[in-house]
Amino acid sequence: MEFERKLAQWRDEGFIDQTAVDRIKAFEKGQPQKKKIPLLLLIGLIFFALAVFSFIAANWQAIPELLKVALVLGLMWLFYVIAYFSEKKHFGQPILFRLLGLAMFGASILVTAQTFHFSLSNSVLPWAIFIAALAHYFQWRHLAYVLVIFVFGIFTLTSFLPNTNWVEWGIFVAISFAWFHFSKDDAPKILSWMLLFFSGLLMWDLVSYSSPFWPIWTLFALVLLLFLVPTGKQKLLSPLYLIFGAVMLIVYLALRGETEMSLVDLNWPESIALAAAGLGVLFLAYSRFRDIIWISILGAMGFLLFDDTAIALALVAEVSALAYLIIAQRQNRPLAPGFIYFILVQFVIYVIYAWERLDMSLFFLIGALLLFALSAAAWWLNRKREGAAS
Amino acid sequence: MKLKQWLLPILMTIFVVVLVAAFYSASWFGEQYTLRAEPFDPFDPFYGEYVMLQYPDLNAAGSTYEGDVYFTLTEGPDGFAVIDEISYDPFFGAISGYSYGNRLTAPQLEQFYVEQGLGPQLESAVDLQVTIDVAPWGIIRPVSIAEREE
Repeated sequence: MEFERKLAQWRDEGFIDQTAVDRIKAFEKGQPQKKKIPLLLLIGLIFFALAVFSFIAANWQAIPELLKVALVLGLMWLFYVIAYFSEKKHFGQPILFRLLGLAMFGASILVTAQTFHFSLSNSVLPWAIFIAALAHYFQWRHLAYVLVIFVFGIFTLTSFLPNTNWVEWGIFVAISFAWFHFSKDDAPKILSWMLLFFSGLLMWDLVSYSSPFWPIWTLFALVLLLFLVPTGKQKLLSPLYLIFGAVMLIVYLALRGETEMSLVDLNWPESIALAAAGLGVLFLAYSRFRDIIWISILGAMGFLLFDDTAIALALVAEVSALAYLIIAQRQNRPLAPGFIYFILVQFVIYVIYAWERLDMSLFFLIGALLLFALSAAAWWLNRKREGAAS
Repeated sequence: MKLKQWLLPILMTIFVVVLVAAFYSASWFGEQYTLRAEPFDPFDPFYGEYVMLQYPDLNAAGSTYEGDVYFTLTEGPDGFAVIDEISYDPFFGAISGYSYGNRLTAPQLEQFYVEQGLGPQLESAVDLQVTIDVAPWGIIRPVSIAEREE
């Protein structure tokens, strides 16, 4: 065997002695042997599966309606049974078989819809898989289900459009909230938070009043969630507030700078209400959740959007980015997120204000890139020299 | 063997069985109608070939309505179904559908999945008929599509 040859080589070179060789060999003998399925059997199985599938596909139209659905349901059961034994007898990956079972559940709904000429441009399929994946998660607690829940949660939300109704929306929010509240791991906490945020955006479809500030209202409302989570999870969630807040500020800046904002209803009463809410968030964040205090800046958005040159908004974005960086530097926190935000702000401002003077701005851009390249080269050379010195 | 292990697949199976039964119940308890139908714009890259359908008799009756409507069917003098009652408000036994741009239809009436290759033939025939079963509570089960016999 390969490792025995290697051992002999090491022994001959004098790295290890004969007793060590014997002990390693004895240890390796005691290790459980990996069971391998013969390659030919594997290939045979794949071809057999392909043959079965193509036989079914070729006769699809001739198969009676009920049998089609039963066939897919049978496959679903097959995967769940395999998963059960795979867990019990420790072979293969039970999670993989359960995911396949879940996929077959989706397929059985697809087949049912096709068999009965039922349109799938409604929310039945995403709802079914969303709920089923949630149930899977609470039974088996695997990260893969979390991702399936999130993806189908988003599908469910988009399938509400363009005729979202309050009942369906309310149920979705309640379920996402329950998921947020009753899950203890990090991934479901983060993803359920995101589902709650995205359901807030559906306000544009739910109510006829088209506020420009639904994302901000949603983010402010989600601050209340922090009361429900322990301190450890607050640390986990607070970057989400900052990231979503930062993205929002940049999107508002881009929209204000590049469009007329004619699709939304910008008015003073709402702007004042938003500012008041911003102050509330500021107070709350100052007294309880210091990490997310930055998002209270968004409360000023109502006033900033009235300035159609977007200069005030650009200033706020720029100053907040710089202030965040400086404070992060002084508190020895990671600087990368602040830098990315800062660079994004520069890009958006660049596009807004320099687009019409592109020739001149390109000149500066190339200059800046050259400067970047030069400083990177200098840094690299310096590091190399330091490395050589030490 | 713990029951808990099998609870989810059982629930999922029940869901699909209920879904299927809901459509079959239209045939068991409902009445059968044949509608005059015409194809338009068939396209679906994913679910296989189907024919998008519109219904001249329904369109004629629903042209004054716009948005969500509820209607029931009855057999007309020539054997093809026409609209019996139609209203903006839901009532028991009504098919839930919608009317837009002089076209009145319901989600399950809009498309009919057909055997691969049959789509173009049905489309070129233009005059089609669709047989459906309608449950007393308004669920539709499309049964067959064919060239119209008049």
